[in-house]
This record gives sequence, structure tokens and C-alpha cells, in this order.
Amino acid sequence: MKRVAWLSLFLGSTSLAQTPDLAALEQAAQKRFAEWETQAKSLEERLARILPCDARSSAAIAEVRGLSDARLAALNDYMRAASAKAFAETAAARNLLSAEERRPIEAARERADAGQEQTAVDIQSDGLLQSINKRSSLQDAQKLLEQITALIRLRSAESERQADAAEKIVPMLRDLVAKFEARDVALQNESAAFEAERTRWSGYYSARQARAQTECSITQIGSPGLNPAAQPAKSPAKGKAK
Amino acid sequence: MKRSLSWFAGIWICGAAAALTGQTSREAYRQDYDAWREAHGNLERDAGSGGATLIPQVDRAAARVAAFGTNRAAYAKAAAQAAAQRRQILQAAATRPSPDLAPPALSAQVKSDLQTVTKTITRFADDKDRGIQQLRQSLERERDTLAALNEAIEARQKAVATTTAAANALEQARARTAETIAGDTSALSQNSVELEKETAAWAAYYEGLAMAIQIANAPPPPRVEITTVAPRNDTAPGIPRARYAGAWTYPTTNGSFHGAQPEFVDLVVHETNGHADGTLFARFKLSGTATDPLVRFDFQGDFATAALQRFPLVASDGTKGTIELIPGPAFNLLEVNFVVDPRQGKINVGNFILVKK
Repeated sequence: MKRVAWLSLFLGSTSLAQTPDLAALEQAAQKRFAEWETQAKSLEERLARILPCDARSSAAIAEVRGLSDARLAALNDYMRAASAKAFAETAAARNLLSAEERRPIEAARERADAGQEQTAVDIQSDGLLQSINKRSSLQDAQKLLEQITALIRLRSAESERQADAAEKIVPMLRDLVAKFEARDVALQNESAAFEAERTRWSGYYSARQARAQTECSITQIGSPGLNPAAQPAKSPAKGKAK
Repeated sequence: MKRSLSWFAGIWICGAAAALTGQTSREAYRQDYDAWREAHGNLERDAGSGGATLIPQVDRAAARVAAFGTNRAAYAKAAAQAAAQRRQILQAAATRPSPDLAPPALSAQVKSDLQTVTKTITRFADDKDRGIQQLRQSLERERDTLAALNEAIEARQKAVATTTAAANALEQARARTAETIAGDTSALSQNSVELEKETAAWAAYYEGLAMAIQIANAPPPPRVEITTVAPRNDTAPGIPRARYAGAWTYPTTNGSFHGAQPEFVDLVVHETNGHADGTLFARFKLSGTATDPLVRFDFQGDFATAALQRFPLVASDGTKGTIELIPGPAFNLLEVNFVVDPRQGKINVGNFILVKK
């Protein structure tokens, strides 16, 4: 059992150590976006200067599509990490609320304890006052007992104040947990929206590639076998070299 | 009273050990409380007439309250630490995804492409050429995908805006809650400190009670210096031996001294049947003509009934001298005076106040 516990502890610490760095993922997503944006913006302009059946035409679309896929993959990584972190926060907030909801009960017990101790000390004090009449040397002890009484009173007041504070904190935490949960729902919807957009981008680039092939094929009517745009593109540089 | 301190220390250590092993539940310290109250009984009422027979009961009550206090403070400390740990979630801003990863310009680009494709389709609408019709069909498929993409982008932008609004509302609530709860976290961490003060106060109370019972109503002894000629097994009322016996040390901060300044002092005093023996080991800051900072000597003799106890001492090199032990203003303080026959480069006089370990 000990080994299992240690292993769990080790795995737990390992998984914590492997928590993705959100800032690094955001930076990577921004970089992929910039790379894609540059090529995507100039795509139509570049295609307009290339003959329909030039292999560079298909290659240019494939390249932008690859950059788009890379961008959306980086964004997906970022969203997944952000969601994981957000859900962990919400779990911690729920845990906090659960503990704080128990605090007023604990504070009430402490107040009851302090009351019981106060009563006991009062009885001690009465007994000591009676004994001082017979033994004056007990006066110093009586002073010490008075100090203890004062300390218990302070503690009792403090525990009452803390119970009041706990009563105020719980509704705030309930509202906070609700907001954590609302944020998580929004985040889930955002992730789903990104995923839907990702599919649409893929569909668009397929349609754009199909149009390029159509443009080539209609210019090649009567010249069978000449349809380079329909062939898998190698690279713009190689196409240019040909 | 000799047994009082050893009992007290023993129970204190047991309490601390229990706290360290995690046995700091509320039930555990409440059991300690019940045991303490039971041991305490009616000490105050009995103190008026009772004698030395009450001392063992004082010892037991002191030990019980020490265990109770230690466990309760440990429980409060652990509870405060756990609460502070849980509340850490409120200290940092909640995660919010960056809204800049898919800027609005992206939507504009897609809309622009959609318009271009739509215009081209319109331009080819009436063209009967088979190739152009094929191209138009291809453009129509592209237009449909662009329209769907544009819709997806708008839906995503709305989702991002919703997340941003939710994250803003969350952040405001978090900051507000963190501010409200900060004072309470600080107060919780003070609980154990206050409880430790209470525990110390109870220890002082029981010591005071024991002293009061021991000295009864006898007038205070005259403050005359009595040497070690007092008979053994002296049972005359006076300052309890516990005010001298035990392990003492020089405080690391704000120590009181006169003459040579101690860097550290360890003093151990044993008491057996009214007989004292002890050892002092000290190091002083060098000043004047002294070149050896260390002082070590043993002493022994019988306790006197006076507050001031004086014993002959023998230093480690055989030199002789005298040490005086004077109870301090608090139970855990002891003033020490020593004089050793002068030797070349050695410290031969010291006066300082020690605290009980």
C-alpha cells in the first residue's frame, strides 16, 4: 500500500510538472497565426499571376492549407490547456466552498467550547477568592487566573467574529463558484465553436483546391493528359524550376 | 515541585509528538480537556487549607492542560494552514483565454473572399459555355463553404465575447472575495498563537498555585545571604527548588548581563534531597585583557532557605570561586553571579540572567 501511495504521489507530482505552459502555447498559437495570415492574405493575388495548370497554383493552396491546419492545431492545443487549467480552478473553488460551508459549524463549536472553559474558570476564580481569605499567598495565582479569563474572553469574541465572517463569506463563495462554472461553460462553447470553424476552414480549402483543378481542366479541354494542377503538388520552388 | 517540571515537560513533549503525527482532531483535544478538568478537581477551593499533598494534583493538572493546549494549538494551526492553502485559489487571477488568437480581421478577409466569389458567379450566370458552367459550379461550392465558414467565424466570435464577459465577471467576483477573505485568513492564522499564549498562561498559573501552596502563609524569608551551611533535607518553606533546578540557557536575543557579554551559557542544576550540584559552560565576547572566551566550572552544595543560593565552584583548570543563583522576576528566569580567582587571560567574573530551557 505504501508503494502505491508513493507511486501516486510521484505520478501526481509528475503530472503537475507536465502541466502545459499556457503562455508558451499562446505564443505558439500567435506565431502559427502570423505565419498563416501572411500567406493566406496574398494567396488570391499570387494565384492570379499563375496559369491555371501551373503546379505552383495547387502548391500555393496546399501550403496555405497546411499553415491553416498548423494554426488551428496550435489554437486547439492552447484551448485544451486553458480549459484544463480553468476546470482545475473551478474544482478548487468548489472544494473551498465545501470547506467554508462547514466553518460556521466549527466556529459554533469553538464558541461553545470557549463558553464551557469560561464557566470552568469562573468556578476556579470563585474557589480561589474563598481560599485567599485563608491563604494570602494565593493572590498572585488569582491575578494569573484573571489574565487567563481575559484571554478566554478575547478568544470567545474572536471566534464569534470569525463565525460572522464565515457566514458572510459563504454566499460570496457560492456566487464565485457559479461564476467559475459560467466561465467554464462559456469556455466549452468557445472550444466547440473553434472546432466547428476548424472544420469549415478545411472545407473551404478543399473547395478552393477543387476550383483550381476546374480552372485547369477547362483550359485543357482537347488536350488529354495535360492536367498538372490535378497532380499532387510537390513544392512551389520545384514547380518553378521546371 | 521537583517532579512538576519533569512531568510538565514530559506531557508537553507527548502532546507535541501527537500533534506531529497528525492526531490533532477536535475530538482528541476535547478528550485532553476533559482529562484536564478531571485532574484539576477543586484545586482552588482545596488550596485554602491543603498543604504539600496538593502538589501532585497540581502537577497532574499542569501536565493535562499542557497536553490539551498543545494539541488544540496544533489543531488550530493545521486548520488555519489548510484554509490558507484552499484559499490560494483566490489569490491569482482566474484563467481566461486570450481573445487575440483569432482577430476580427480574419472575418473581414473571409467576407471579402465571399463577395469576390459571389460577384464572379454572377458574372458567369448567363454564360452557356460548358467549361464556364463547370467553373461556376465550382465557384458556387466554394461560395457555400465560405458562407459556412463566415457563419462559423461569427458564431465563434460570439462565443469568445461570452467567455470574455464571463471571465470579467468572474475576475471581479474573485477580487472582491479575495479582499473579504484576506482578513479572515490572517485572523485564522493568529488563533494558534493566541492559544499558545493561553497554554503558557495556564502553565504559569499552576506554577504560581504550587508556589502559593508551598510557601503557605509564612512570611517571606529574610533576604540574607546564607552559605552552604544549611542542613540537608531542609523542608522549611521557601522558594521552590524548581526555581533553581533544571537546564538554563542564555537567550539568543535581548539577553541581560553585566560586565562580560555572554555569547552563550548553558547551566544545569540538579537537586537531590536539598543538595545541589551543577555545571556551567559559557562563552563570552572577549574584551579587556581576557584572551580565553570559554568558562567552565562545576559547583555543589546544600540549598539554603534564602532566595539567594551561593555555592563554591571549581573551574575546569582547578581554580576555585563562587556562584550565586538568584530567582528572577518570572518563574523561568534565573540570575547568575560567579567569581573565580583571577587567572592570566581568563574571564573571572560574570553576571547574567538565564531562561529555563
